[in-house]
Amino acid sequence: MSNGAQSASIAPAPAVASSPGHPRVALVGPPNSGKSTLFNGLTGLRQKVANYPGVTVERRSGVVVEAVGSVEVVDLPGVHSLSPRSLDQKVTRDFLTGRLEGDRQPEAVILVLDGTRLKTHLMLADPVLGLGLPTLVVLTMADELKRRGGGVDVRLLSAELGVEVALVNARDGASLEPVRRFLRALHTGGEEIRACPVVSAADATTAENVHGRALPVIDLFAERRKRARTLGRSAAFQDPRPSDITHRIDSVVLHRLWGPLVFVATIAVVFEAIFTAAVPLMDGTEALVAASGEFVARTLPESWFRSLLIDGVWAGVGSVVVFLPQILILFAFIAILEDSGYMARAAVIADRLMHRVGLQGRSFLPLLSAYACAVPAVMAARAVEDERDRIATIFVTPFMTCSARLPVYALLIAAFIPAGPLIGPLGMRAAVLMGLYALGLLAAIGTAALLKGTLLKGRPHPFVMELPPYRMPSLRSIGTRLLDRTKVFLRRAGKIILTVAVVLWVLTQVPSGPSGEPPEIGDSALGRMGQVIEPAIEPLGFDWRIGIGLVTSLAAREVIVGTLGTIYGVESEDDQSFELQAALQQDLDLGSAVAMLIFFVFALQCMSTVAVMRRETGGWMWPALQFTYMLVLAYAGAWVANALL
Amino acid sequence: MGSRRDSASKPADRTLADVPLEEEVVVVRMEVAGEDIEPLLERGIVPGCKVCPVRHSPAGGPTVYRVDGHLIALRRETASCLCVRSALEAAGVLDAN
Repeated sequence: MSNGAQSASIAPAPAVASSPGHPRVALVGPPNSGKSTLFNGLTGLRQKVANYPGVTVERRSGVVVEAVGSVEVVDLPGVHSLSPRSLDQKVTRDFLTGRLEGDRQPEAVILVLDGTRLKTHLMLADPVLGLGLPTLVVLTMADELKRRGGGVDVRLLSAELGVEVALVNARDGASLEPVRRFLRALHTGGEEIRACPVVSAADATTAENVHGRALPVIDLFAERRKRARTLGRSAAFQDPRPSDITHRIDSVVLHRLWGPLVFVATIAVVFEAIFTAAVPLMDGTEALVAASGEFVARTLPESWFRSLLIDGVWAGVGSVVVFLPQILILFAFIAILEDSGYMARAAVIADRLMHRVGLQGRSFLPLLSAYACAVPAVMAARAVEDERDRIATIFVTPFMTCSARLPVYALLIAAFIPAGPLIGPLGMRAAVLMGLYALGLLAAIGTAALLKGTLLKGRPHPFVMELPPYRMPSLRSIGTRLLDRTKVFLRRAGKIILTVAVVLWVLTQVPSGPSGEPPEIGDSALGRMGQVIEPAIEPLGFDWRIGIGLVTSLAAREVIVGTLGTIYGVESEDDQSFELQAALQQDLDLGSAVAMLIFFVFALQCMSTVAVMRRETGGWMWPALQFTYMLVLAYAGAWVANALL
Repeated sequence: MGSRRDSASKPADRTLADVPLEEEVVVVRMEVAGEDIEPLLERGIVPGCKVCPVRHSPAGGPTVYRVDGHLIALRRETASCLCVRSALEAAGVLDAN
């Protein structure tokens, strides 16, 4: 690299052959341009998701196998420009220029633009072609463009841009042949790859100066837009008619009266699905985990190892896996809502309400997801472009009543709240449950407002929401997304739960008795911890046994049910167990039971959430603050409840 | 473009927030501070572009605009930072393309 700085533009083919691994191609394009559909169409299931080092941007890559050799395709995040305004755009720019640590520069670029929106999307052509890498421009949505009476001359556009241009339907494998030809050319050194974009000096400086701010940004974009229109005109681009079906659906979905109704109905359907439809699946999974655990227990001889495996690993990982059906259903709904185009409308409907409490329309999806589980919700908060709003959203998601709280609520409500009716058909127990949900929501709203008034104070950024035309979601794209969301969830949640479960198991096993047998729970290290914290939790009406439960529930809330079962020596750990209820009634009164419910509404007893928070906020500061804040709130709330009742 | 000279000959510019549904206008000036302007520019909302409000969302939420044939929702406070002229009027003054 001493003085060969210009070599890249002269002999691309040998450079490709000498690089380690498969040659690499980057997919670049604006959000909703069909980029991911194209990526799925090319790579099928040969793809993996990871994060770029040190940041929360997902790195999606896959391998395309062609007869002449394989090519690695990297699907970059959707971007509108290469200015480092957002993390996505910064990562994209750094990746394309080879400045991203630990990632080498791609050999070629595929620029994906929505064929129906060329006039705007072509604004990305200048900065991307300005990089000087061999480029293929792919115009997607060919069928939609034609159906809506639009058109473009690919050959003219190609001549104007100086690179190959292909018009495709990303969902139709056969139409991807020009793209595959481009990929093959990376191996054969075909002419497609030799055709480096003609970069004029002006374009090159423009591309560089976006972040150098040499040109006033407003003029730069005005210039780009003018150039995009000139390009469009030269390529005989014919604007498609506005989508008629989109207009008609929007007149219902964004209607003054019907709009909010559709919105509420959508939420109701998602709730119904994750709380009712998921139940048999979750029961099935639970039975499967239990049965496999029993099988392993029967196969292995009695030993500490068996105990670790069954009481530690199986119990811990099982507690996460049980939620998988519910989370899968949630992800399926999210995928359908997003791919169809409705999610953007839901964000618009929710924006006013969300804005009032210091969040924004895009926060709606993470908050909804959090009713199933905070871990995917925190990850979903990536959709919130504005950094302050994203942090605020992440911070309040654990207040939403996740399904791990339900077993605890169910146990305590059944044990302490009488079954009688409250008002009309509304039973006392149902009312208490609804009250707990409402309390969580109120805490989230109050906290968001508090944060935006203090730590995350600042002028609100504009809310710019694109509403893509409605499209039929494809099964394939939903399937692919489900698969990779699930992998990410299991990896994040599974790792931490496994660790914590093993640590807790060890704490119940030491110090061992004279002949090596495990101690009584009260004498174990865990039991001692319960006794150590007893003075602190006594004002809440809890004794050391509940204390142990609280310690174990730090791993995951629902773990407390099993722990209490063990402590009280109850055989069946079912949360409906009358034995466990009776045992609890000995130790708690109404005041301390309500105190415990309130403690569970507020406290951040979920290590998976803490771990994913750290990952998504890039440090310990936010999770530490959040943990402390929620603990203080939980303690204060529980104390008040115990004192009053 | 941002100068005051236009106020002498023309009535004060309207902002996009004041434009009734289905009236096409041209953006002449953007009074959005700092980096906040980029999300607008990147999506094709630049001086000289045509914008048409197509739908108000319920309860005073963001309004949906058609920009270059696609739909973008903006809050009222953002729309009121964009000074506009009616498309017909602007045709004589600006090259609206």
